[in-house]
Formats: sequence, C-alpha cells, structure tokens
Amino acid sequence: MNFLTTLANAGEATAEPAQEGIFSALGIDLQLLIVQIVAFLILVWLLGKFVYPLLMKSVDERQKNIEEAAKAAKQAQESAAESEAETAELLATARKEAAEIVATAKTEAADIASASEEKARTSAEKIVADAHAQVAKDIEKARRELHDETLELIALATEKIVRKKLDKKADEALIVEALKEAK
Amino acid sequence: MNFGLFAASTNDIHISIAAEPVFYIGGFPITNGLLTGIAGSFLAVLILWFVANRVKRGKYNRFVGLVQWVFEGLLKQIDDVIPDKKLARKITPLAVTIFFVVLINYWLSVLPGLDSIKWNDVPLIRSVTADLNFTLGLAVITIVTVQIYAVKYLGSMGNAKRYLKNPFKDPIGAFEGFLELIGEFSRGTALALRLFGNAFAGEVLLIIIAVLTSYFATVVLPFFMVFELFIGFIQAYVFFILTLIFTSLAVSHHGPDHSDHSPAVSSRKKAAVKG
Repeated sequence: MNFLTTLANAGEATAEPAQEGIFSALGIDLQLLIVQIVAFLILVWLLGKFVYPLLMKSVDERQKNIEEAAKAAKQAQESAAESEAETAELLATARKEAAEIVATAKTEAADIASASEEKARTSAEKIVADAHAQVAKDIEKARRELHDETLELIALATEKIVRKKLDKKADEALIVEALKEAK
Repeated sequence: MNFGLFAASTNDIHISIAAEPVFYIGGFPITNGLLTGIAGSFLAVLILWFVANRVKRGKYNRFVGLVQWVFEGLLKQIDDVIPDKKLARKITPLAVTIFFVVLINYWLSVLPGLDSIKWNDVPLIRSVTADLNFTLGLAVITIVTVQIYAVKYLGSMGNAKRYLKNPFKDPIGAFEGFLELIGEFSRGTALALRLFGNAFAGEVLLIIIAVLTSYFATVVLPFFMVFELFIGFIQAYVFFILTLIFTSLAVSHHGPDHSDHSPAVSSRKKAAVKG
C-alpha cells in the first residue's frame, strides 16, 4: 500500500523535473544519444563487414543448392517423362510391328493354305483326269477287243453259214461290207 | 532528471523513466542502461560471430541452426518487403543488427536482479531498450538511413518533391507533402517511443509483480518473464520490419505517372505502417 501511495504522489515529484525540459525529464541526454548512435553504427559496420557476409554466403549457397536440386529434380522429371514417352513410343512401335507380323503371318498362312488347297485340288483333278483317261483308254481297248472278237465271231458264224472257208483277206472284206450294209 | 522516481520504504521499489548514471568518466555519465546495452551488444556480437564461424566451418548444432534459421527468415522478409535485391542487401546489416540487438537487449530485462543488484544505490541492470537515448538513437539512424536511400534512388530533388509541392499548382499535393513531412517525424518518434514504452513498461511490470506477489514471485514471475520474452521478440520484429517498410516506401515513392508497383503491395505496406 505504501508503494501505491508513493505511486500516487509521483505526480508531485514530476512537477519539478518537467520544468527542466521534456528531454531531460525523459532522460534524453545528447551526449549519451550521440555515443549510442555512434556505437550502434560501429556495431552495424562490424557485423556487416565480418559476420553477416559469412551467414549470407551460407544462406546463398543453401539457396543455390536448393535451386540446383530443384533444377535437377525438374530435369530428372523431364527425362523420366521423356523416357516414358520413348517407352510408350517403343511399345506402340513394337505393338504395331507385332500386329503387322501377325497380319503378315495370317496372310501368309492363308496364302499357304490356299496354295495347298489349290495344289490338292489340282492334284485331285489330275488324278480324276488321269483316271478318266485311263477309263477311256480301257473302254477303247475293251471296245477294240470287243470289235476284234465280234469280227472273229462273225467270221466264224459266217463261215459256219456259208460253209466255205474264205481266205482271211476276202473274209474281212466281206465282213466289212456286211457291216456297212447292216448300218 | 528523474521523471517518475519513487521508492517504497518497505519494498524498496526504485523506478526511473531515465536511465540512471552509475558512475562518471570525465563527466560523461555511464548509465545502467548503457552498461547493460554494452553487455547486450557484446552478447549479440558474440553469438553472431560464434554462429558465423560455425557456419563457415560447417559445424552445426541446434543453436547454430536456430540462429541461422532466424537469419534466413529475416533475409527472406527483407527480400519480400524490398523488391530491389541490391537495396535489400544494402539494408540487411542495419535491419538484422536492429533485430538481434533489440531482441537480446530486451531479453536482458528478464535477468534476475533487475531491481536488486545495485551500485551506488543505482540498479545495475536496466535493458538499454528501456533507455530512450538508445531507442531514439535507433529511430534517428533508421530515419536518416531511409532518407539517404531515398536521396540515392530519387535524387535530392525527387526526394524533396515528396514533401514540397507548389501549393498553387497542386494544393492537395502540397498538403499531402506537408503531412508526409510530419509523418516522417511521427514515424521516427513512434519507433522510439513504441520500443521504449514496451521495454520500460515490461521492466516496471516485472518489478511490481515481484513486489506484489512477494514470496509467490518465484511461481508467478516466470509467466510474466515468458510474456516479456514474447513481447521482446515482437518489438524486435516490429522495429526490424518497420525499418524495411519505411525504406521500401521511401524508394518506391513515385508520382502518378509511374505505375510499376502494384497497388495491392503499396496498400499493404501502408496498412502495415498504420498498424
């Protein structure tokens, strides 16, 4: 409480120093002010000359490192994207080539199958044709043999009918004539 | 000299708006604020020097990493607020030194023995941020630096035109220029008083809480100390960012014919200054 009453009485104590001027009342002393300004300026100069450059250098280096790292990361990202694009392109090319190969293979297989089919068909046709020719030949042969046999039979029959034996040449001429007439 | 000096006989509270001289060297007063300020600045240099050397040698630990992380954050802030990279690098030593020196000196106010360690009946520990000479000095340095860069970027005439316009040709512009001139002084004053007010009030708060809570102070004070540490960080950051914003505003001050700065950024900066 004593302290509080003292505080209340402080106003009275201020009256006297206030007359000396506001600066002295606030404790402003020109000598001290100048000394402190000069001292502070010296401090700024000292720190600015010997201390801050070291710290600034470190900060700059760190900043540079961060920028370089960011740049490297960006480059890596770009090269990764580039590689990805290249891979995608390669994959696309490979797929395209594979598709082409498959398509070619299919075409070739189809061609081969078609060629085989054609060959088989040709072969079959040939066999059929050969068979036909053979059959025709056989028929012709059979027909000729039948013709010959018929001639002989007719000759025999005729011989028996006319009871005379004609020589072969006259016989044949007679038969041919008879046949012509028969026709 | 002392504006609000009072002392309670039982609790022996000693609060003074002005930093008090502990001793004199050839008539020059060595105040408690100055002593703590020297210690704080020495500590700031030691920490930054240690960290810079460790960083140079590539030997990191958690503390080095933390300080470097803070430094990097500050650099990023500088680059964000000041678009010109060259200017950003030029203003870096001042802005970063303000941040670290204010931060460390503010934090010294939570040291035990704030009002109890005395020399010639004067408390030895008093954060230099609670000394108006220091905060005013910082504000003067900031405002003068801003003016130097404004002159460098806009030229002497260009910079003068920010404040002085022909009232017959452009009465509104002339009034704006006048307000801008007043604004420069108010910015500087606000810079100094904001930091001083917070630091001084913080110290007074800690002393009063210590007295009021008596033996419970061991339990209660740490909460207020943590609060003070937080406020210290905020004040250091505010001083730092305002230095950047004032510089940025001064060098990007163009007439209506220039439109190379986005209105959104400018309005944000202005809002930040008002805030």
